[in-house]
Amino acid sequence: MRRMSGRTRDPLLSALISALDAQRVQTGDGARRLYSRDASVIRGGRVGVVCFPETTEEVSACVVAALAHGRDFVARGAGTGLAGGAVPCDEPVMVVLTRMDRILEVDVSRRLAWVEPGVVNLDLSRHLSGTGLHFAPDPSSQQSCTIGGNVANNSGGPHCLLYGVTSAHVLAVEVVLPDGEVVVLGEEEGDSVGYDLRGAFVGGEGTLGIATRICVRLTEDPPDVATLLLDFMSVGAAAETVSAIIAAGMIPAALEMMDQRVVEAVEPFVNAGYPTDAAAVLIVELDGQPSGVADEIRQIKELARVHGARSVRVAAEEGERERIWKGRKSAFGAIAVIKPDYYLNDTVIPRTKLAEVVQRIYEIVEEQDLIVMNVFHAGDGNLHPLLLFDAREAGVMERVLAAGEEIVRVSVAAGGVLSGEHGIGLEKKRFMSLQFSPADLEAQQRLRSAFDPVGRANPAKVLPTGASCGHVTSLGRLPDGAWV
Amino acid sequence: MNVPGPLGLSGDSLAACVQCGLCLPHCPTYRVTGDESRSPRGRISLMAAAELDGAPMDDEWLEAMSTCVQCLGCETACPSGVPFEELITTTREVMSSDRPAPLRLRLGLRLLGRPRLLHWGVRTLAVLQRLGLVPRSGLFPARLPLGGGQRRSTPGGDVLLFTGCVMDACQPEIHDAVVDVLVAGGRSVERTGEAVGCCGALHGHAGLRGEAMRRAEAVMAALPGDRPILVDSAGCGAALKRYGGLLGTPAAVAFAERVFDVHEWLAANAELLPEPSGLVGQPIVVQDPCHLRHAQGVHGAVREVVGPYATLVELDDEGLCCGAGGAFQMLEPELAGGVRERKLASIGRAFERSGARTVISANPGCAMYLAAAGVEVRHPMEIVAEALEDRHGR
Repeated sequence: MRRMSGRTRDPLLSALISALDAQRVQTGDGARRLYSRDASVIRGGRVGVVCFPETTEEVSACVVAALAHGRDFVARGAGTGLAGGAVPCDEPVMVVLTRMDRILEVDVSRRLAWVEPGVVNLDLSRHLSGTGLHFAPDPSSQQSCTIGGNVANNSGGPHCLLYGVTSAHVLAVEVVLPDGEVVVLGEEEGDSVGYDLRGAFVGGEGTLGIATRICVRLTEDPPDVATLLLDFMSVGAAAETVSAIIAAGMIPAALEMMDQRVVEAVEPFVNAGYPTDAAAVLIVELDGQPSGVADEIRQIKELARVHGARSVRVAAEEGERERIWKGRKSAFGAIAVIKPDYYLNDTVIPRTKLAEVVQRIYEIVEEQDLIVMNVFHAGDGNLHPLLLFDAREAGVMERVLAAGEEIVRVSVAAGGVLSGEHGIGLEKKRFMSLQFSPADLEAQQRLRSAFDPVGRANPAKVLPTGASCGHVTSLGRLPDGAWV
Repeated sequence: MNVPGPLGLSGDSLAACVQCGLCLPHCPTYRVTGDESRSPRGRISLMAAAELDGAPMDDEWLEAMSTCVQCLGCETACPSGVPFEELITTTREVMSSDRPAPLRLRLGLRLLGRPRLLHWGVRTLAVLQRLGLVPRSGLFPARLPLGGGQRRSTPGGDVLLFTGCVMDACQPEIHDAVVDVLVAGGRSVERTGEAVGCCGALHGHAGLRGEAMRRAEAVMAALPGDRPILVDSAGCGAALKRYGGLLGTPAAVAFAERVFDVHEWLAANAELLPEPSGLVGQPIVVQDPCHLRHAQGVHGAVREVVGPYATLVELDDEGLCCGAGGAFQMLEPELAGGVRERKLASIGRAFERSGARTVISANPGCAMYLAAAGVEVRHPMEIVAEALEDRHGR
């Protein structure tokens, strides 16, 4: 890591360097550039200082230094977020947690583990291999994203249909509060006495403090797993099959849909044998006791036949299963084979309206003369339309934003919600009033103020009230020359 | 289309990166530092900043680029197929034309082109090693050869064995093992030897495109004809296979098509391999050199070829680099050491899991760098050759 050249007179920098060291405090043009974005097209302002703490005490010292010198602070993991949650606004102190990547303790008998926030999601499950346990939340970015980021966004993933999202897998969190104090919210076992502040903290998007140690619940590996690939000639038929599976009383471990464009984009990368001529495919994963799994395979084959599936393939071995999943989880990254930029939306709708809303999304995108790839968690109605474009084309951003906004409106009007798992961040805060009344928003603001009375923890995110973000207050109003 | 920036990179290649971050865990320098500027995504972003946005190519920027091991783990991981090798190679070339490489690197690279001098130097070093006057290093084996090995070679033989520079001088026993196996399978082998010398891989790696091209032309001129060229060093194999792209001539493309990693070639000609006498001895851990796995994509062949003779154990790090990276370990010792620590931890876990005590690696650079940290490393072909000895011994 680069050493800062020379001595500094900036008192904030001096404080940070004396708390960490010169190598772990960066202010170069490159560092400020790189740490001013996440994996999305959302742009805010510039980072002021980038810090790489390695202990809870150092995180606390970063927060205290920021406060003492009148600066905001923003926590960041691997930067795989898609809603601008870690995008800085007003030259904040960026607290990068990737160097806090130790798995501190694994207690197999009590099925829990204490980890630092920078531990990569998939690394934890890999580390547990052989114990018969795993960490259930599996966002598509799980090979890169950190558990701290999962906690901040209350992340989901394909297997959250059966196992629940991150909040269901976090028992306790050690938090550096926005005034630098260190507290533990939640309990290793049993319910904590009083309000569930752990529950309030998970999904707080860094506005309530910074998690520095996380106690996660570990889930038993299922005795048997089957992965099925169903292939359809229309998106509508696939959507109806999803509803039919749930209506039949089954809750698969995962139930995912990918449309033809997605399949065409990922197949050359993963060679999973996806049918590239199908209008849509469903990935259905079943787990449990072998007899139950076998029975559910029979039922799903029958439902698929009734709803016009061309074929149902059951993965014969682990390698085939992995390739099918790798295709699903590579979808966002693979889009550059079509266009160089994407805007990934994230809304939830009632499952019964899948066919109708997805059809409407294709129409909206066509009206704006854009390309869309649909890949989503069908089982829980969590849509992820990926709008593809080339930001170098003049005027394209306006059309992307208009389409994105319309998709959110259509989803909420269908009885859905703004975001399934990516968080609100900078991206969706202007839509919060579509879903919440002024009184709802006021109540949420009071909760936030209880944790952060001075408003220094990742401000200008989530709630539409409060300070605006640098020169970009919403996706819809970009300044001239902003690079998106 | 190239954009009119200071690096001359392709605008489409830069735009192919959608910044999703799926490459991050596959980058050894990001894994060690947790720093975006040490990641493929960060480096591409900084290249784009300099190229499209007029960002300064200051010390911070240069350091981000010069700390890349060029292992290409990111290319394997990238769902969008970003041509990272093209981007970093072009960037390094611009950097090396602006700022000459360090003197010791230039001297070292010059030595590679002079095989006689190299052999003489290695023998001197071998004597000094025996006298206990040389500290352990990842740049050469702990026990260099005093003599030259058997060096059996059949001019005009069925296949060519590319013997290279450092490996020919430092590890002739590995070439011997390859020749033994091929000869036992009924093929005569001609070693390319000192007349052909270095492939230019390390020169290309250091951004010295001109020298790499001169080495490529010399190697091609010395090896006319259409006999297959087998290579037992993954780094050299990757470089030889890229002559087509480097020189851009039909002759270079045709030459590259004659080049095979020795395991790749044997996997396709498995009937030449000795009859296995059952899995004997301890299990063995397979380490995939980046230039075999990410640059050539033929790491599966090592398993096919060695699998019948030993129980193979996989590492749990998805082919993450070991830190050697050609001259990287010399230029960035601290970072390389951190990368190697992760590899050693992964090897340790594999040893614990399986009872194995030995690692096989198909690249001399990785082998020597890991051996310098106390790991027993063999070349996969040595394991196959031992099966041959077992059979003869009985």
